[in-house]
Amino acid sequence: MTAGFRRAVFLLSLSSAGALGVNGAWIPVKALLAQELLRHSWERTRSGEAEVKPWPWADTWPIARLRLARLDLDLIVLAGASGRTLAFGPGHVDGTAQPGGIGNCVISGHRDTHFRFLREVRLGDILELQPVAGPLRRYRVTAYHIVRDSDVFVLQDRDEPLLTLVTCYPFDAVLPGGPLRFVVQAERTDDTAGGEGR
Amino acid sequence: MKPTSKRRVESLCLGLIGAALLWAAIARPARGGQGVGSADVDGGELLLPAGADGRYVPAPVLDTDVAIWVTGVVARARVTQRFRNPGDDWVEAVYVFPLPDAAAVDHLRMLVGPRVIEGQIRERGRARRLYDAAKAAGKKASLLEQERPNVFTASVANIGPGETVEIVLEYQEVVRWEDGEFRLRFPLAITPRYIPDGPPAGTPDVFEAEPVSPVTPACYADAPVAPVTLAVEIDAGFALSSLYSPSHRIQTSRVSDTVYEVWLDSDAVAADRDFVLDWAPQRGQTPQAALFTEEKGGDTYALLMVIPPDPGDAGEARLPRETVFVIDTSGSMAGASLEQAKLALTIALDDLATGDRFNVIEFNSVTRQLFPESVGADPASIEQARHFIDSLDANGGTEMADALAAALEGDPPRGFVRQVIFVTDGAVGNESALFAYIGEHLGASRLFPVGIGSAPNSYFMRKAAQFGRGTFTFIGSPLQVSERMDALFRKLESPVLTDLEVGWDDPAAEAWPAKIPDLYAGQPLVVTARLTGPVDRIRVRGDRGSGPWEKVLRLRSPAGPRDIDPPERSAVAKLWARRKIDALMDGGIEGADREAVRQAVVELGLAHHLVTRYTSLVAVDVTPTAPQGTVPSTMSVPVNRPAGSAIGILPTTATSAPLYLCVAILLFGVALLARPRGSAVSPGEAR
Repeated sequence: MTAGFRRAVFLLSLSSAGALGVNGAWIPVKALLAQELLRHSWERTRSGEAEVKPWPWADTWPIARLRLARLDLDLIVLAGASGRTLAFGPGHVDGTAQPGGIGNCVISGHRDTHFRFLREVRLGDILELQPVAGPLRRYRVTAYHIVRDSDVFVLQDRDEPLLTLVTCYPFDAVLPGGPLRFVVQAERTDDTAGGEGR
Repeated sequence: MKPTSKRRVESLCLGLIGAALLWAAIARPARGGQGVGSADVDGGELLLPAGADGRYVPAPVLDTDVAIWVTGVVARARVTQRFRNPGDDWVEAVYVFPLPDAAAVDHLRMLVGPRVIEGQIRERGRARRLYDAAKAAGKKASLLEQERPNVFTASVANIGPGETVEIVLEYQEVVRWEDGEFRLRFPLAITPRYIPDGPPAGTPDVFEAEPVSPVTPACYADAPVAPVTLAVEIDAGFALSSLYSPSHRIQTSRVSDTVYEVWLDSDAVAADRDFVLDWAPQRGQTPQAALFTEEKGGDTYALLMVIPPDPGDAGEARLPRETVFVIDTSGSMAGASLEQAKLALTIALDDLATGDRFNVIEFNSVTRQLFPESVGADPASIEQARHFIDSLDANGGTEMADALAAALEGDPPRGFVRQVIFVTDGAVGNESALFAYIGEHLGASRLFPVGIGSAPNSYFMRKAAQFGRGTFTFIGSPLQVSERMDALFRKLESPVLTDLEVGWDDPAAEAWPAKIPDLYAGQPLVVTARLTGPVDRIRVRGDRGSGPWEKVLRLRSPAGPRDIDPPERSAVAKLWARRKIDALMDGGIEGADREAVRQAVVELGLAHHLVTRYTSLVAVDVTPTAPQGTVPSTMSVPVNRPAGSAIGILPTTATSAPLYLCVAILLFGVALLARPRGSAVSPGEAR
């Protein structure tokens, strides 16, 4: 191996590793930063403004706050579940029931960032969902399934309030885009708390 | 470094680089390559506990008898299955089975020895409570619930050791029309399928690795195959030009002008493949219409069927088209969605014929038209459109109203049909305003929403198509783009009858669908109505492009029963009720709140004996048969994917971060191995 070739391989692989590493590290950092920015626009939303975009060019806005006390989890849920939205926070799937409303409200999030906590969810856990308007709602986790991505029955509407959280499965897969999804379903419990207070 | 180790490092480096590149290359095609399409439901299964190891095995089905009656486009089927409990314990069996996509189950009967228990339609929660109470009291009971549009669960409580239970269920469906033929399919997979080698295809391995469901999949051992008898009676409404089965050997006989009987050649057939029956009506130069009616509860229910003319003549009758392509380029379409949308439009451009006119509209926060108004589809303008589509980029908001306005503006040129192909993910919040706009401004245009992406707003698509008197196409993955778009364009190519109107001659007539779509060459048109007054004829009018088309039809009743004992004659009434329920469930009646919809659906379900989301069938025997104090073991069944019901796919929710990091670490390793010689030794030595 000539010194020149070695040098070329060294520089090429080192710079590629750097670029990819920065890219790979940036994704979770972005997910964290976005949630911080979102918290600010959530506060403004709660104080009465409508569709507060977290940054001027955003095409989404906060519509709910999801918490799980046992895992110390606190997330701002965004409108829409497109790939672009999910980079910043879990997204509410269009066409499903509104957060806090009657029916099946479906929220999806990235398995390796915001919704990584789903792997630790247990049956009986209490999820708190604070919609923009209306009282805080509590949901008790009653089921989880592993389904294929075409099993859209988990999106099917209900006549009782249901919260459905969807993320990719398996959690530790390296390649994105697999066909399996991890689905947690939670039914609303009767006790409604006072909410965040305005 | 010695020469040999130097060479080793060199080859190691190359190997690692190669591996990294290979990895990056395979990573892409793996995405979206799986999990879409119509995978099979793996039959229905009655599961019974077996032995102390907590596993469950399918109960043997003794035999299956199927009888189907077809009235025009409606098929009523009665399926009789006998099961036996081979064990020594009292059990509760849970039976999950697929039925054809649009099947609506309306009768359930349970026969245990000499006793017959007729299933009653009850509000779902109440049916479940009745069943649970009967189960706890040791009574025989059976419950039929709809899990998903085409997957049903039947539970049978308290089957005694060695006892045989017969379950009779009836369902109704609309037969499919494909390429000029009606096609009836009966999933014989409804009986357990035994697959000698391993679990059924499509079962994800994770079920073995992580038991999420309390039931371990049954072991699929060799077992006798259940024999099936099957008979079909067809009242087609027209004389038939062909009648055959591509799946089984059949015998047929013609009972009258339009009525035929079909039965399987040998009496008992193994349930190893689905039964398929195809028939084609004799078609003429012009559209034909047939009318079926039946009386129920003092009302007359009517089924009107209009079939397109022979495709050989369709070319002549083809109406010239003005196609307006609208593409959503808002931020939510970024990435794969936009690529699919672009591909769909590119395919669509190829489909334009000389003489057609077209335009392309892009919208996000603003709306942009390629041409100020539609232009002729010549090579130059198509090339221009191709460039325009190529250059599109997704960004900004979703201001759909302006795009709709631009697409629906003005009237199409005289003699043209305007079809608006609207490609979007439907990520909008002001749906009702948009629907209202479409309803008001549709005019002579027709709207065909094409849903793109992993989580499109299917409610928006369906409703927009309904208000736009068109149909809705869903594209879930890049693999589906060309197939689905081709199917849409084959249909759109040949509108044969537009502006259809039906004069029911009864002001109180309630027809579904309320807005009658156009008749296309590829699809017969079916309208159902409930008539309250005495009516003896109806009038159907439409525009053929070349001139008006009109038919006057006299009311007639379906042919009477023949050799096989018919089920309750209410095919048409049930179809009407089913369509009304669908419309209700879609929120089709404006201003109706959820509770009102629920009540209306429950009422229709009870009146027409239909299993819906809110009503279930429950059959309870009055006499307790299980010994007191016996608690039957309960089991649930891992649910499979319903075939063809995939109206979408779940959102994709993994980032590339782990992949990037892995490759980065790998490359860093390469860099470390290939680091310049000077740094390979300690700094002190290097000097």
